[in-house]
Amino acid sequence: MKKNIPNLYVISTTNQATHTGGGFLTRQIKGLGRSSAITSALLMLVAMLAPLAVSHYFIRVLCLTIITYMCVLSLYVLFGMCGQSSFMQCGLWGVGAYITALLTTRLHVPPIIAMLGSMAGTGLFAFLIGLVLFRLKRYYYAFSTIGMMMVLNGLFLNWTAGTGGALGISDIPPFGIGPFQVRSGMANYYLILAFATGATVMVWMLYRSSLGRSFMAIRDNETAANCMGINSLITKDIAFALSGILCGAAGALFSFLSGYISSTSFILSTSQLYLVIIMLGGTSSPAGALVGSLIITLLPEWFRPLKDYMMLMYGMGIMGLMIVLPEGLIGGGKDLYDKFRSRRR
Amino acid sequence: MNLQLLLTGISLGAVYSFIAIGMVLIYRAVGIVNFAQGDFLMLGGFVYYTLIQMALFSAWISLLITTLVVGVSGIVFQFVCYWPLRNAQDKAIVVSTLGASIFMREGAKLIWGATPRATKPLVAGTAKIGTAVLQWQYLIIIAIAIVVIAGIYIMLEKTQLGSIMQATAQNQYAASLMGIPVGTAIAVTFFLSMLVTGLSGALLSPVYFVTNTMGGSSGVKAFAAIVIGGFGSIPGAIIGGVFIGLVEVFGGAYISTTYKDTIVFLVLVVSLLIRPKGIFGEKTAEKS
Repeated sequence: MKKNIPNLYVISTTNQATHTGGGFLTRQIKGLGRSSAITSALLMLVAMLAPLAVSHYFIRVLCLTIITYMCVLSLYVLFGMCGQSSFMQCGLWGVGAYITALLTTRLHVPPIIAMLGSMAGTGLFAFLIGLVLFRLKRYYYAFSTIGMMMVLNGLFLNWTAGTGGALGISDIPPFGIGPFQVRSGMANYYLILAFATGATVMVWMLYRSSLGRSFMAIRDNETAANCMGINSLITKDIAFALSGILCGAAGALFSFLSGYISSTSFILSTSQLYLVIIMLGGTSSPAGALVGSLIITLLPEWFRPLKDYMMLMYGMGIMGLMIVLPEGLIGGGKDLYDKFRSRRR
Repeated sequence: MNLQLLLTGISLGAVYSFIAIGMVLIYRAVGIVNFAQGDFLMLGGFVYYTLIQMALFSAWISLLITTLVVGVSGIVFQFVCYWPLRNAQDKAIVVSTLGASIFMREGAKLIWGATPRATKPLVAGTAKIGTAVLQWQYLIIIAIAIVVIAGIYIMLEKTQLGSIMQATAQNQYAASLMGIPVGTAIAVTFFLSMLVTGLSGALLSPVYFVTNTMGGSSGVKAFAAIVIGGFGSIPGAIIGGVFIGLVEVFGGAYISTTYKDTIVFLVLVVSLLIRPKGIFGEKTAEKS
């Protein structure tokens, strides 16, 4: 009844040098010329200078915002590019956080190795889970991710020997390489910002690579993608593993930032929130993930006096935005993109 | 076999079945999965709680009013969350229902507070069946479940209204050509769906506390019930719900209390892998 726009597949998988292509994605790739480069540079500058102008508390809020952005970015790889919704990104984030916490507190591994371990471990975990879950499709797959999320949360909460149970794990050392320690909020901010920037660049490279193109082919028409020689099972699983690696990095950063983790952070409703964020921002580019994360995590800070009513307004806002802009903020702003392009020519 | 656990499991499962039936009715009618369904369970619990606190009516009449109120709220929900988006992509509607879920949860917190509330049972006291000692409420839940399920079956299969709803579910365009008011049929479906869910919330409230977050866990278990029973099938939703209830109660009693929710979802994942289309699966099982 309601399906993805089918011709996206044809356009987004054809050669990007084709100048006659009219699809939104093609235009966007080409549109990442001057204007987007300038926008990104300005954003980077603002992000670099932001902590100098705000309080310690707000720096922490910004740190959590960027970590959320990384999780949503992982969902962008899986959902935006590959078309596979997932309700367990928060669980993968938790796996990353717990791996780092356990490696640093129990085995006293250097933080940088713990972080790599988190990324590799979460990626591997996602890959193995994906091999099983991707035997299912559409709703069946989506529900199995809900099931896995609940299983993971049950483990985080109840497996006292492994994850500390309800008490969680405390005294996680801060990130550091050798004698250099990342202790202050501002240093943490720049660390997280560096990782988020790296992740975004990687995702953009992925977007323009042949692997990224096969993700999008699967999103737009899985049968056609199979006919073109893409092994959809393995490709989807790779997307899942990549999103796991991103979540693992975000989880490790969260562990280092907060120094204490417990199962209450890694719940299904946060996973649902990530989906809401990416739908709010738009699933067509990482910019959507960024805009969505900024709105969802920063708005409550600005409307602090309305705190009790904030979540209520969230709910209404989400419903309202879906009614007005079902493609999300970035998707809805594509007319603006067109205007930019015609002005440049 | 422990009779007490069996009956508890069946009555808990009946509640999950009710939510699952509500979801399946909506899924069949409009092809979307409603993530706010569990929150209508919560709404039912709170409306029933308020009516009992007001003490204007007897418990049974309160139950009746509750189901009607939640049913009408379902029509409102339909006009806010589904109708404006009926031509958009599925995922936009899913996110919209997620938004509704947040809205209802927070709204309930503002109105009724975050503390768990308890209501009084329809019939106080306990019943003795053989060796089993059980609250009457559990038995009432089972009895009402049988009546309601029979009622839904008769309504869907034997009445004109049921034919209208089924025609709309099968093909909206063709139904509109036959002179069926599709909008009204969908509104009636939402009404019925929320009515059943709200009823289960009111029935559950005396044995479990009513909290503003109760919709989350029960809703997710209802998902599990739908998937295990077979997506889009009402008998499947019933069987799946009872199965989930039994797994939860027996898993909690014999394997581990702390892991009882984990066991339920492990069973879900395993059953998906063994039989993806569920017990009464639709014809097009999507398994690669």
